[in-house]
Amino acid sequence: MEFVNDVAAVVVTYNRKDKLVKVLDHALDQSLRPTWLVVVDNASTDGTGEYLAEFAKEHPEVVLVSLAENTGGAGGFAAGMARGYELGADFVWIMDDDCYADRTALEELVNGLGKAEESMGMKLPYACSLVKWVDGSICEMNNPGTTWDWGRLIAKGQQNVLVTHCSFVSVLFPRWTLTRFGLPLKDYFIWFDDQEYTLRVTQAGPGVQVLTSTVVHDLGTNRGVNFADVNESNLWKFEYGVRNETSFRLHHENPVAAAKFVVRLAQGLRQGRVPLGLQAKLFKKLVEGIKFNPKPEFPRSVL
Amino acid sequence: MTSGELQPHLTFELLDESGVGLTGDGLLDERERRLVVGAANFHSLASPGRTFRFTVLRGPEGTFPSLTDEEVHGIEWDDDREVVGSMVFRSLVHTTSAFSDTDGLIDLAVDVGGRAQVMSGYHRLPGVLGAARRAVRFTVPVQFDALRQLRTDVTEKRYRAKDVPRHSPVRLDRGASAVPMGKTPAVLFGMHWLEMGGAERWALESVKMAKDAGLTPIVITDRDSTHQWITRPELDGAVVVPLTQPLLQEQEAAFLNGILSAFDVRGVHVHHCSWLYQRLPWIRSVRPDMPVVDSLHVLEWRNGGFVDVAVRMSNMIDVHHVISPQLRDYLVGRQNIPESKVKLATLANLTVTGIEKSVAEKGEGPFTVAFVGRFTQQKRPYLFLKLAAKLKGQLPVRFIMHGDGELADEVRGLRARLGLAEVLELRGPDQPVGRTLTDADVLVISSDNEGLTLTSFEATAAGVPVISTDVGSQASLVADELLCPRHPYPFIRAASARIAAMAASPARRQEWLTQQAAKAEAFAKLPDARSWTQDLYKGWNS
Repeated sequence: MEFVNDVAAVVVTYNRKDKLVKVLDHALDQSLRPTWLVVVDNASTDGTGEYLAEFAKEHPEVVLVSLAENTGGAGGFAAGMARGYELGADFVWIMDDDCYADRTALEELVNGLGKAEESMGMKLPYACSLVKWVDGSICEMNNPGTTWDWGRLIAKGQQNVLVTHCSFVSVLFPRWTLTRFGLPLKDYFIWFDDQEYTLRVTQAGPGVQVLTSTVVHDLGTNRGVNFADVNESNLWKFEYGVRNETSFRLHHENPVAAAKFVVRLAQGLRQGRVPLGLQAKLFKKLVEGIKFNPKPEFPRSVL
Repeated sequence: MTSGELQPHLTFELLDESGVGLTGDGLLDERERRLVVGAANFHSLASPGRTFRFTVLRGPEGTFPSLTDEEVHGIEWDDDREVVGSMVFRSLVHTTSAFSDTDGLIDLAVDVGGRAQVMSGYHRLPGVLGAARRAVRFTVPVQFDALRQLRTDVTEKRYRAKDVPRHSPVRLDRGASAVPMGKTPAVLFGMHWLEMGGAERWALESVKMAKDAGLTPIVITDRDSTHQWITRPELDGAVVVPLTQPLLQEQEAAFLNGILSAFDVRGVHVHHCSWLYQRLPWIRSVRPDMPVVDSLHVLEWRNGGFVDVAVRMSNMIDVHHVISPQLRDYLVGRQNIPESKVKLATLANLTVTGIEKSVAEKGEGPFTVAFVGRFTQQKRPYLFLKLAAKLKGQLPVRFIMHGDGELADEVRGLRARLGLAEVLELRGPDQPVGRTLTDADVLVISSDNEGLTLTSFEATAAGVPVISTDVGSQASLVADELLCPRHPYPFIRAASARIAAMAASPARRQEWLTQQAAKAEAFAKLPDARSWTQDLYKGWNS
């Protein structure tokens, strides 16, 4: 049996050509070079497609997936991960189009996951990086949730934290995770797709955050997700977030978890003095989430 | 091959015979004769050193052979059995017991069954309920299939969610020594039956490879069948044992002990044989050093199939050989079998020798849509006929259905009923597949389950695009857009739309063919089952 570790790096992009250039350069300039770089263009309208076509000519490892319409981060990641799986990758390593991976980020993820599996005596479903903001501080939006025994591997001298969920900014999934649990829910479109997926695959065991694998998330501002911040311009994202999280808490956890979410939502909105009109729109999405319960698709085994 | 070439038998010596035809003309044909030899192999191995008299019976059409089961120990038989042979033989299998003449002869009545034929599972359904199901199945096949596919959806979902329980491992590294080993190096094979099929074709090829490696193949089958393929040349020189069940319980271990004492069994290779799978824990207990591999072909959603048996017995198996990436992913990803135990080695190009690429532009004639395969429930020929009926009104198009099988009557009936006689040509298996592929513009695979169809390789070699249901590992070879849903009505809709698109635009057809060829090229780079198996057997005989 040959033990090859072919990694498919997956980058999902939408109208962010300026940052994408740097993202792809970082993804390719790794100490452990990915075998493929799958770039999913979510029907960008800013010339990303043309740029990527040129980029692919110079880099044979680039595999372009051009979607006919914008399917959101969730649809993009599902398509890109499926493509990596079809190519025969042993791992898929996924990130956004504003994530600059440090040179050893991938190598540390692969090694960190291997070491963690060895000490735990089991296969672990994913490994994620430590995500920093551009100034080197922790990125508020990308902190994983930890398990009750998060320090178990640190006690053994590893730089690995056991986690229950994380965001899709530099996450490494072994092939079997996709075989067993399928793909992220593309119907979520955006927000909470990463949490849902990582929580789903955590059924098989904890994930691991490899602290020696670092990436920079180039966000405009370094702020976490908070319902107090809802305004007219960002409402659309929060709408998806409310619908998706309601659906998840209700259908994948339990009504009590869903009720707690409603309380957290209401408190956040009140604290932020969010206008009543916007609050009403979010509550409408909450109701929508009660019926909304998409099912995962599974990737095809091709090679 | 003549019966004389079967000599010398490795497990018995013939003392006398009449009608069987092992020493001259007989009343049996070659298939029947080989079945009798198979029965003699079993009894010689199960009762070493003993002398037997077979009374050979032939049953009416539609009955299966009875060669090794409890029934053969009786000397009374049904009115409709005719006696066609008698033979006396002595087991050559070594034994330490001394039998005297007074131990007498073991008298057995073996039945070679009716003439060679295949019947669908539906034809075999018993009782009133069976008759009702059969009636619905054959009156409204497509509607019936729609319901079947819904049931498959349910089982597939359940199947995906379950972990198959495992048989506990054998902890010994040596079994207590009982029977001395024989001298002839051999491989023990388990097969489902000796009928036409992709899995069987590969199994027989591996039997031949074992012979080429200097190992005597011992081939056990466990499924009732008329075993048309028992006469195949790959089986010449092999010890074939077509089991018919239930065996007498005490004969099970005796039979396997007979094999272990008559031969130096170097390894076990299971190809879809439940009986042998279930005896692996015992074999492992008495001979823990003996390597065991299995070859898996199809992930069968509806009843779990052999893959689940293989998973259950995984602790007794050193290597699972799988022919498709889908099976590898299922074993490693879903069932958590260590990657080091799963070997993907494909059967790409098993049958493509001799198929010419039809580079010439298709002639002036109408667009030609072909179906190549057995007319069986699994291949759903009736869906192809429905598809043809739909396309007939839309396009200038003609159809070829190439094959034969248990649903041949249904195919002929539907062809007439759907008014396809003018545009649909039926070709029998006596004609070369290569010619049908040369004539075809597109090949349609309407199966409801598959591993990886060999015809897809053949079509690719012939330069013909394939439209297929998205089942099994078909995605490994078929262009993404030409994969159609498994449910019958969505299948017909999708397939007819793709065929219409191809017929209207040769460029589109070419684009899909290019994608298919690229997939085939990537697939061909995967390890090859033949060379892997050759190396395996070579290792066993070193």
